[in-house]
Amino acid sequence: MSEDYKWRYGFFLGCVIPNRYPMIEASIRNVFDYLGAELLDLPGASCCPAPGVFRAFHIPTWFVIAARNISIAEELGVSPITGCNGCYGTLRDAWYELEHDYDKKKEVNEYLAKIGRTYKGNFEPKHVIQAFYLDMGLDYLKDFIKLKFSDLKVAVHYGCHIVKPSEKRPWNGEYEAPRFLDEIVEITGAKSIDYKDKYMCCGAGGAVRTAVKEVAADFTREKLVNMRDAGVDIIINCCPFCHLQLDLGQVEVNNFYGDVIGEPFHIPVIYITQLLGVAFGMDPNLLGLIKNHELQGVSPFISIDPFLNIVKEQLI
Amino acid sequence: MSENVEKYIKRKVYKSTSSRIAQKFVDAGLEKIRACINCGTCTGSCPSGRRTAYRTRSAIRRALTGDESVLKDIDIWLCSTCYYCYERCPRDIPVTDMIIKLRNIAVEEGYILDSHFGLANDIFYATGHGVPATGENNKKWRDLRESYGLPPLPPTVHSYPEAVKECQELMNAVGFRKLLDNAAKLKEERAQAAKKDKEE
Amino acid sequence: MTEAKKEIKVTGNERPKIGVYICHCGVNIGGVVSVPDLVEYTKTLPNVEVAQEYKFFCSDVGQKIIKEDIEAGLVNRVVVAACSPRMHEPTFRITCKEAGLNQFLFEMANIREHSTWVHMRDPEGAYEIAKDHIRMAVAKARELKPLEVQKVKVEPSCLIIGGGVAGMNAALDLATEGYKVYLIEKTPTIGGHMAQLDKTFPTMDCSSCILTPKMSEISREKNIELLTYSEVVEVSGFIGNFEVTILKKPHYVDQEKCTGCGVCVDYCPVVVGNEFELGLATRKAIYIPFPQAIPGQYTIDMDNCIKCGICARIDVCEPEAINFDDKPEYLKIKVGTIIVATGWDLYDPTELKQYGYGRYPNVITGLQMERLLSSFGPVIGKPVRPSDLKEPHSIAFLQCVGSRNFREGGNQYCSRVCCMYATKQARQYKEKHPDADIYIFYMDIRAFGKGYEEFYESAGQNYGINFMRGRIAEVIEDDDHNIIIRAEDTLLQQPIELTVNLFVLSCGLEPRADADIITSLLRIQRSADGFFLEAHPKLRPVDTLTEGIFIAGVAQGPKDIPDAVAQAKGAASSAAVLMSQGEVEIEPFFAVVRPERCIGCGMCVENCAYGAIELVEDKWFGTVAKINEALCKGCGACSGNCRCSAIDIIGFTGEQIFSIIMGGEL
Ligand SMILES: Cc1cc2nc3c(=O)[nH]c(=O)nc-3n(C[C@H](O)[C@H](O)[C@H](O)COP(=O)(O)OP(=O)(O)OC[C@H]3O[C@@H](n4cnc5c(N)ncnc54)[C@H](O)[C@@H]3O)c2cc1C
Ligand code: SF4
Ligand code: SF4
Ligand code: SF4
Ligand code: SF4
Repeated sequence: MSEDYKWRYGFFLGCVIPNRYPMIEASIRNVFDYLGAELLDLPGASCCPAPGVFRAFHIPTWFVIAARNISIAEELGVSPITGCNGCYGTLRDAWYELEHDYDKKKEVNEYLAKIGRTYKGNFEPKHVIQAFYLDMGLDYLKDFIKLKFSDLKVAVHYGCHIVKPSEKRPWNGEYEAPRFLDEIVEITGAKSIDYKDKYMCCGAGGAVRTAVKEVAADFTREKLVNMRDAGVDIIINCCPFCHLQLDLGQVEVNNFYGDVIGEPFHIPVIYITQLLGVAFGMDPNLLGLIKNHELQGVSPFISIDPFLNIVKEQLI
Repeated sequence: MSENVEKYIKRKVYKSTSSRIAQKFVDAGLEKIRACINCGTCTGSCPSGRRTAYRTRSAIRRALTGDESVLKDIDIWLCSTCYYCYERCPRDIPVTDMIIKLRNIAVEEGYILDSHFGLANDIFYATGHGVPATGENNKKWRDLRESYGLPPLPPTVHSYPEAVKECQELMNAVGFRKLLDNAAKLKEERAQAAKKDKEE
Repeated sequence: MTEAKKEIKVTGNERPKIGVYICHCGVNIGGVVSVPDLVEYTKTLPNVEVAQEYKFFCSDVGQKIIKEDIEAGLVNRVVVAACSPRMHEPTFRITCKEAGLNQFLFEMANIREHSTWVHMRDPEGAYEIAKDHIRMAVAKARELKPLEVQKVKVEPSCLIIGGGVAGMNAALDLATEGYKVYLIEKTPTIGGHMAQLDKTFPTMDCSSCILTPKMSEISREKNIELLTYSEVVEVSGFIGNFEVTILKKPHYVDQEKCTGCGVCVDYCPVVVGNEFELGLATRKAIYIPFPQAIPGQYTIDMDNCIKCGICARIDVCEPEAINFDDKPEYLKIKVGTIIVATGWDLYDPTELKQYGYGRYPNVITGLQMERLLSSFGPVIGKPVRPSDLKEPHSIAFLQCVGSRNFREGGNQYCSRVCCMYATKQARQYKEKHPDADIYIFYMDIRAFGKGYEEFYESAGQNYGINFMRGRIAEVIEDDDHNIIIRAEDTLLQQPIELTVNLFVLSCGLEPRADADIITSLLRIQRSADGFFLEAHPKLRPVDTLTEGIFIAGVAQGPKDIPDAVAQAKGAASSAAVLMSQGEVEIEPFFAVVRPERCIGCGMCVENCAYGAIELVEDKWFGTVAKINEALCKGCGACSGNCRCSAIDIIGFTGEQIFSIIMGGEL
């Protein structure tokens, strides 16, 4: 570890972050570096595997692949860290269960031995938000805030697997109404607005999006209606799959449910590190906020210009 | 036959239960499912049930009583794994895990959607990613990565072909390949049978 | 034939002739291990003269088999291999006694709980363990010595802790029978929770109308010394002779002088939440809990009093009863028996965030609803909802809040009263508001008591209350502070989203938050649910495992008023049984010092938690320890720590314990 870093993690990318929303990857990498936390690459890491699909197909496969991913971080002597609730769910649930079930661990290691790996379980998988809130702490983050929003109304979306199952998460069993993400958002001067069913699922997870897009989009519709009713400017989240569902999903909602929603939706969806980064005074280019408009059919699908305008008005 | 016979005579009297599915839960150490008191907290908590025909409690109930149609219905694939039911069940049943287990059993018996099969077989098994950036179709995503100053492919299985091999070796050893092949076979057999039925 | 004549003289020196009686206990033992094989095995053990089996040795016939062997002189020590000594040791001791054998020449081997029950699925293992237990018991039996029971006097007085409906009824019964009763109540008034109720199911009699006459009876009864605003702080002694220290908290109002006129209340400037009204109303710093409180004298709540002195003005309190210098008083009493009737606390639903209690104003508990319905409550029996003080048109009740919940923080048991009280409250509201929509969301309706099912049926048929089968998953609030309920109608298999004006949580009953204090003061036990443990769930439901201490009311477990009163009367009767005998036998299992070994180091004096040991001068052995048998509990702390092995516990001597450990080889 180079001397300048206070923390060191193995950056578990997953799939959606690197392959569909790389701006999230860029912002996490740069914000962590800025905060004095080193992110090591996990060479050859795979899909976590996604809890709602692959776990739902075959639990044993899910276990061994998850254990392999964790073991890559173990080899580097660091905790795997992820910016995705789904990966967090998989890595943490697998870790938790392997910690509590010796036979399972033995069995998993028998498989891993075939590819010359072992799972030890001495490094707790973490979420980016967990690193912010528990490892670094709000006070530490506050010291980096250079610019504060004067009037930004945020719909905070937690997603599910960052808090549940609560006994396998580090939030003291809180799942009905956690506050940690709101607190992080609010150090930037933005205001977290209460909206109906704030903690509801976005609808993408659990293989629903792959099974029937319309069903997933109906969850999203309900959330978007509630967010709009509360008068929010942007959506902040901490999961690329929620991010995708709330971003690309808006297009789908406008499409499938145009007749019931009235005005089409166009609420900018921003990942937490992008918001923090601008408040830290970082270059928006480092935060993946500046899009190359020559690229067609890529994310973000809902323009984030309204957010960039607010940034310009209030921060610069 | 009188039309009314067909219309009104159903003879749907439930004659016995079968513990075949329930037994699979017990074997997997999930016998807690049997403590369900059918209170409905799970269904009441379920954001999916508020918009679909999926009823969490009924899925559990059907599994317990051995109603195998639960494996065929798309219902169990409409759970978004939000874990509300899991957190609130007064009998402390890990309900979401039960639904996941139920899906495992369904796949074992060849009940898997085409889209899910494709995802598992053509994408996950083949590349090690669930959402890949390789292949011609995905060039725009590689370009997008580069536009943010990232290498076109991430340092994951995408950059390490031997890692894909490792994953496949694990999946073979743990039975995933066999599971998928078997599911494909059962699906095909059912499709053939249905076709034959139709012709007759 | 008198007992004395029949007593078979057995000295410690006589050759032990052990009779071993192995019980099938129906299929409990016999269904798991082969009892005939055990008998054969037992016959091989040294000193065993007789080994027999029978289906139920505890039955008359079974006992007779044992008696005959004793009377025929075949055996002079008895071992019964059967159930737990807690269950039948007393039975078989009497068997021995009746046959003329000293009852302490009996030993029990528990091969049911320790073997065939726990290893039901491993018969071979169970058989081995049963063999071990029998061998150990035989080994100990070989070393048994005849002992004499001790008799102690029982003071004809009873301490009752808790002045709720249970404690009050026990007190009245005992006082009428002529025993002196000390009724200790922690709050300034007796009555307990029943005083907070409006009407009572299933007969709908007014709670105050049946309770307040009892309360005044208590205050008039000369055999009852009522000590309100008091707590037990120390208990020592043992059955028949408990020494109790009671703290009388200062009222800051002279209870002799106060006439209960209440003028002070008008002048007191301090307004705080009224605990009797559960925060639905206020009271002053000088207060009585409710108008019919007994005693009717006032108390100053010093946590909130600002000592402005206004109430002490002579124009305010004419009798000059205010005394800011009032001090706590300690009272020492001696009683023969104790009844614990400390009641319950309501489950606090704040933690169940999905139900919004504490967050949404129109979510209240069942006990708050009771106060809203009460004709002497904060809204004189015309319930309104907290947010806008309007009469609700629609009300939903949720059952089993905090009860029947196997998650962490929940109580697993059924609280037994909430189904009925919700139905009662729903009916009461419907009576006055026939147009109202009332819903009761339940998992099961438990209407088990006399007249309860009829009460429930009528709630549907005659009152039109909607019983909804489904446990509510979560609620949210709309802009008008209405509560939107999400649940499943499990009978229709249909999700529900129902909007109501008021949402009532039928919270369950919990053990008192301070039950730990009573547990350690009285050295009684609690069961897994946290309530005080009865000595036997069926046959000794009001006894504790500590002789002379009884339990009654919800302190023992959730119950309604009829059951609480029945149990109170049972506890009073059991206490009276002891007191009317005037003396009781206690087991002679106390410590004895062998002065020849004692070096007088005094370690044991410090180790004894009961102050039963002192050092004395012996004319042969110098300074040695001496044990006060009446105070000794036989705990063994002294014996285990004595470096010289100078202390033995009778019935558990070193030889006896070693012979058990060595399995008879010693
Ligand atoms: C909302 C509601 C409605 C109900 N309605 C009915 C009904 O209609 N019909 C019915 O049959 N039942 C009803 N019940 C049940 C009924 O309230 C109980 O059965 C009854 O209160 C039991 O009385 P108790 O004496 O055991 O306990 P409590 O009433 O709790 O009395 C215990 C007393 O002990 C005192 N105490 C506690 N600890 C100490 C201590 N350490 N030292 C000294 N004193 C102490 C307390 O201050 C209290 O005065 C209802 C319950 C609820 C919650
Ligand atoms: S919440 Fe639990 S007990 Fe209730 S119906 Fe669902 S699984 Fe059964
Ligand atoms: S985990 Fe699935 S079944 Fe349970 S509440 Fe969420 S969507 Fe419904
Ligand atoms: S009495 Fe009724 S409401 Fe109370 S815990 Fe039992 S079943 Fe639930
Ligand atoms: S056995 Fe010893 S320590 Fe225990 S009470 Fe008796 S004298 Fe005291």
